[in-house]
Amino acid sequence: MSVPRIRAPRLRPRWGRSVALWAASAVLLVYVLAPVAWLLSSSFQSEREIVSRPPHWIAQKPTLANFAAIFSAGERSVTYETRRAADPASGGYIPSTASSLVPALGNSLIVACAVVMLNLLVGVPAAYAIAKIRFRGRQASLYAILATRVIPDIALVVPFFLLIRNLGLLDSLWSLIITYLAVTVPFSVFILVSYFESLPDELDKAARVDGCSRAQTLTRVYLPLALPSIVAVMLFAFLASWNEFLLALMFTQTPKSQTLPIIVASFTSDFTISFSFINAAGVIAIIPPVILAIAFERYIVSGLTTGAVKG
Amino acid sequence: MARIRLNGVSKRYGDVVAVRALNLDIRDREFVVLLGPSGCGKSTTLNMIAGLEELSAGELWFDDALVNGIPPHHRDVAMVFQSYALYPHKSVYENIAFGLRMRGMAAAELDRRVQEAANKLELAGLLGRRPSQLSGGQRQRVALGRAMVRQPAVFLMDEPLSNLDAALRISTRAQIKHLHEEMRTTFIYVTHDQAEALTLADRIVVMKEGMIEQVGTPDEVYERPRSMFVASFLGNPPINYLEGAIEGEAGAPVFRHGSLRIGLPAGKLRRVGGAPVMLGIRPEDVLHDGVPGNSVLTGIVDSVLPVGSDRFLGLKVEGCDVFVRVDKASHHVQGERVSFALVAERLHLFDKASGASLLDARA
Repeated sequence: MSVPRIRAPRLRPRWGRSVALWAASAVLLVYVLAPVAWLLSSSFQSEREIVSRPPHWIAQKPTLANFAAIFSAGERSVTYETRRAADPASGGYIPSTASSLVPALGNSLIVACAVVMLNLLVGVPAAYAIAKIRFRGRQASLYAILATRVIPDIALVVPFFLLIRNLGLLDSLWSLIITYLAVTVPFSVFILVSYFESLPDELDKAARVDGCSRAQTLTRVYLPLALPSIVAVMLFAFLASWNEFLLALMFTQTPKSQTLPIIVASFTSDFTISFSFINAAGVIAIIPPVILAIAFERYIVSGLTTGAVKG
Repeated sequence: MARIRLNGVSKRYGDVVAVRALNLDIRDREFVVLLGPSGCGKSTTLNMIAGLEELSAGELWFDDALVNGIPPHHRDVAMVFQSYALYPHKSVYENIAFGLRMRGMAAAELDRRVQEAANKLELAGLLGRRPSQLSGGQRQRVALGRAMVRQPAVFLMDEPLSNLDAALRISTRAQIKHLHEEMRTTFIYVTHDQAEALTLADRIVVMKEGMIEQVGTPDEVYERPRSMFVASFLGNPPINYLEGAIEGEAGAPVFRHGSLRIGLPAGKLRRVGGAPVMLGIRPEDVLHDGVPGNSVLTGIVDSVLPVGSDRFLGLKVEGCDVFVRVDKASHHVQGERVSFALVAERLHLFDKASGASLLDARA
């Protein structure tokens, strides 16, 4: 009888795998970061330098004039006739809506902060109830909330528009706050439900036996423990509101209510296009989300994934 | 201190009935253990008493107050959970003090109670730590302390020792018994561990499939089980069963299993003859071998299992396995034919079909 020969497994060189991973990561990183790097670099370049060939990845004559132009734009009135009389450092082209940029920054901040606050106000109790209170239709309510996100935003524009118009809220910040809530709350609830479900039910029971009402159980026990998911929800709601374009375009008409994406987009359809000014505005637009992401980086991943992935 | 009465208490989750028309009267300051296998409704019953689950039907009384629908924070109960349920973001001190803070206790009295509990439970040096920095036994003591400082009318425990190792479980069991004597309050304790129930309880409530199978003192449920379920659930190693029939006159009934005949106590049987029965013999209820009489168990030694203090023999009796406990000094060997005298009064007899005891209640 022949003894079966056991074949040793062929060992693949591990370094090959590492090199492939590094290469793939590098390609991805360049793909994601190159536009941001160019945005950042060109915001410190004059219009002349931006359009030079070959382009300068690092500004040869860095200037803050683009940013200065943004913050002093409110002092000037730009018309077709006066458009070239403005700041020479930015190529002389100042968009006619430039003076709306700083107010739009304020509008974006107000809308984003309001959406964050209201998301928490609505989402946290809803998620706690769905995750921890046994009631008829509990699962169905979660599915119903999530089902609203199956419909693409573009399909909601007309119903939203009619609603906002009938409420008399067109061209007001409330129009944005209300519609952004409808878009963000379902996802916030989903993140929070996943997280609350990962916290033991017995904590809920212990707190209630210890003398907490439902509301106190939520605020004194679950909220401190759910901090990562709350931060994740805050970031998600903030970014979704900060970056939103389509609904803002439909519901806002004047600088009174227009947000940053609308104003920045309007720079591209002006008398002439000033890349230096647009890029500087772009940099300003990404500063708040980047600060938030860096500040809460450690919470984001755990907040989004805990409870969502079950073994 | 409270007397607790459950009148026809039921709990349903949709179509599933977790607890079925439970009637139970727990006396003030009594230590009652709800005992049963997983899914028998014991924890659900405890949660209903705590106010954590609503009753689907029935009435729950604390002394003279109907407490159906009263939320847990308005019932004077404290509870210890299987997983301890300590608040991970609070220190040991804050965990123990939390229930008192929620009731608005003055700081000085709160601190006195926390320190007193900490000293009693040997937690004094650990008050600043977080639960994650404690061992399992220490966490368990914090959970006990948290309930203790409240000085509640009813002390509820849901399998509090399940997560401890065997040695710690025995010492903590003693600590809980001591705590009951000291606090002089009503304790309701849920477990599936029969040893815990037998050691701790004033009365044991054995539950099965949402219903009470038997209520009695540890001696009553162990010595006079009303059903095969109760007899099987209590005792380690478990009770042995032999299937057979009752024959003979009412004055001298005999259990017959193949060629085996065992004399039964006269005048205590509910019936003689009829349907098949199960004879229950506890491993410790055999006497030294070779004694003549009509209640004798004869078999071949199949295995010898020394457990330090005793020795267990696995016997083959008419093709059935029977475990008996013998003195550790005995020298039985495998294959040996042995006979043990049985104490007729300690034999158990059940109807095979219903599992109900066929012995008259011997109060």
